[in-house]
Amino acid sequence: MTAPVTTQAGQSVAVSKRRWFEFNKPITPASAIWLALSAWVAFFGLWEFAVLMEVTNAVLLPGPVTVLTSFVELFTEKNYLADIGMSLYRVLASFTLACLLAVPLGILMGTFRSVEAFFNPLVSAFRYLPAPSFIPLLLMWLGAGESQKLALLFLGVVWFLITLIMDYAKSLPADYINTALTLGGNRRQVLWTVVVPAMLPNVLIAMRQMLAVSWTYLVIAEIVAADSGIGAMMMRAKRFVHIDEIMAGIVTIGLLGLLFDILLRAAQRLLFPYLETKE
Amino acid sequence: MIADNPQQKSHSKLLLEQVSKEYPISGGDRLLAVSDVSFDVIENEVCVLLGPSGCGKSTILHMMAGLNDPTAGRLTLDGREIHGPSRDRGMVFQGYTSFPWLTVEQNVEYGMRLNKVPPAERRQRVDFFIDRVNLTRFRKAYPKQLSGGMKQRVAIARMLANAPEISLMDEPFGALDAETRWHMQELLLDIIDDSQMTVVMVTHDIPEALFLADRIVFLSSHPGRIKEILTMDFKQGRRITNKEELIETPGYIEIEREILHMMREEASDEE
Ligand SMILES: Nc1ncnc2c1ncn2[C@@H]1O[C@H](COP(=O)(O)OP(=O)(O)OP(=O)(O)O)[C@@H](O)[C@H]1O
Ligand SMILES: [Mg+2]
Repeated sequence: MTAPVTTQAGQSVAVSKRRWFEFNKPITPASAIWLALSAWVAFFGLWEFAVLMEVTNAVLLPGPVTVLTSFVELFTEKNYLADIGMSLYRVLASFTLACLLAVPLGILMGTFRSVEAFFNPLVSAFRYLPAPSFIPLLLMWLGAGESQKLALLFLGVVWFLITLIMDYAKSLPADYINTALTLGGNRRQVLWTVVVPAMLPNVLIAMRQMLAVSWTYLVIAEIVAADSGIGAMMMRAKRFVHIDEIMAGIVTIGLLGLLFDILLRAAQRLLFPYLETKE
Repeated sequence: MIADNPQQKSHSKLLLEQVSKEYPISGGDRLLAVSDVSFDVIENEVCVLLGPSGCGKSTILHMMAGLNDPTAGRLTLDGREIHGPSRDRGMVFQGYTSFPWLTVEQNVEYGMRLNKVPPAERRQRVDFFIDRVNLTRFRKAYPKQLSGGMKQRVAIARMLANAPEISLMDEPFGALDAETRWHMQELLLDIIDDSQMTVVMVTHDIPEALFLADRIVFLSSHPGRIKEILTMDFKQGRRITNKEELIETPGYIEIEREILHMMREEASDEE
């Protein structure tokens, strides 16, 4: 326990002494920021250092500054914004479609054992089929256009999304439902006034988890066959050995992923202010 | 404070006749959780189910609520057989069940909304019951801002506002610290007394049982069956809503000792 700070030299030292490695002790926000920043600085520093030391061919490993300047070039001369817009559209459109199916189905499967028994064997089996293995089929059925890419992204996330939401619905406290039943609620009322509102925050969490996966399939779809999008830009850059632009593409996807995570977290706080705050 | 016990004209409200409950367990076996239990709950009485952990108290209460069907025997409320849950039989659960997405007043109003109670009446009953459980200052708060005792008061008010015929409570104060528990017991007994409720309450806390009960059904375990039904003769047909006074009432110590003795017998049977 912390003793009150006194003027006696020996004791005040014991109180103010801070150690870096303490089990489960919180650190101050300021030191958290400093630690995060120094990790980034170290990362870029090492990268730039490796380039300066000519660890490999400068063409194959451009430094962070080169990558940064290639961003400017991409935006001003190569209409990069259109590529980003296209990729965003693909992710968001396919993800919306996946949610439209997965949210109601997952909730019903987690709530009613009969619905689960009907769909779950199917959904679990599909989950084990890698979405990219459908690419040849999708190319033949849908051609190389937009619908093929949306279908791939859809298949990549929908089964996992259903399962995640089902698991969340199953772990709702049974006594919420029992309370509503003993207050006279019928099945429809319990579904709409207890199960659905109790599930909404979990649905948002599941969406946050799966949106990251959606970006993975986006890159696959755009590398396979596309003339627009971040992945397509990266394939074009490969043809001309513009390593800096490929790296800029990777950074873009990372930043967009981060941005969506932040947005969804903010939505969580705004939409569900009543939630117990964990951590 | 001494109040009249309104339990004089003994009309039996809820009746259990040879009720048994088996649960299927792993390996195709069946566990007999409740065996051949028969008793009745009299109108306007507080009937406490007391017994060691795992003796089937919650199982009996869930069957009364209609959340669980008996394997044998029957349960009736005012002569009508119980099938499934209904607003006749309100229930307060051991865990916190105030809906976190609703404010205190929305929680209390919730049951009445389900039952399409007209808005004016709804508002009036919300006001009354929120006041009755001393939460008026917190009516716009969400459950996350409330202490455990307050959350249980929300659950109690929500059940009462829905005007059930009988109130079932499964260790409603089980998760609370000793002092809060005390206050809650006194508050509950006050409410029970002036709104003439019929209550079945589960507990394994002996002082709580003695304080609240008009009658105690003592259950033994494995399988759960009735060991003894104790009438609180020492209270001489009154309800004593003050704890110190209860403990000083002649006869209290004796009955507490008798129950402790039964508890110990149960425990030694386990070995
Ligand atoms: N759904 C279930 N499936 C199988 N066994 C069950 C189930 N519910 C309860 N049981 C068993 O039935 C017995 C009685 O359980 P119950 O919960 O009714 O006891 P209890 O008296 O309420 O106990 P406690 O004081 O711990 O709450 C226990 O042995 C328990 O393991
Ligand atoms: Mg129990």
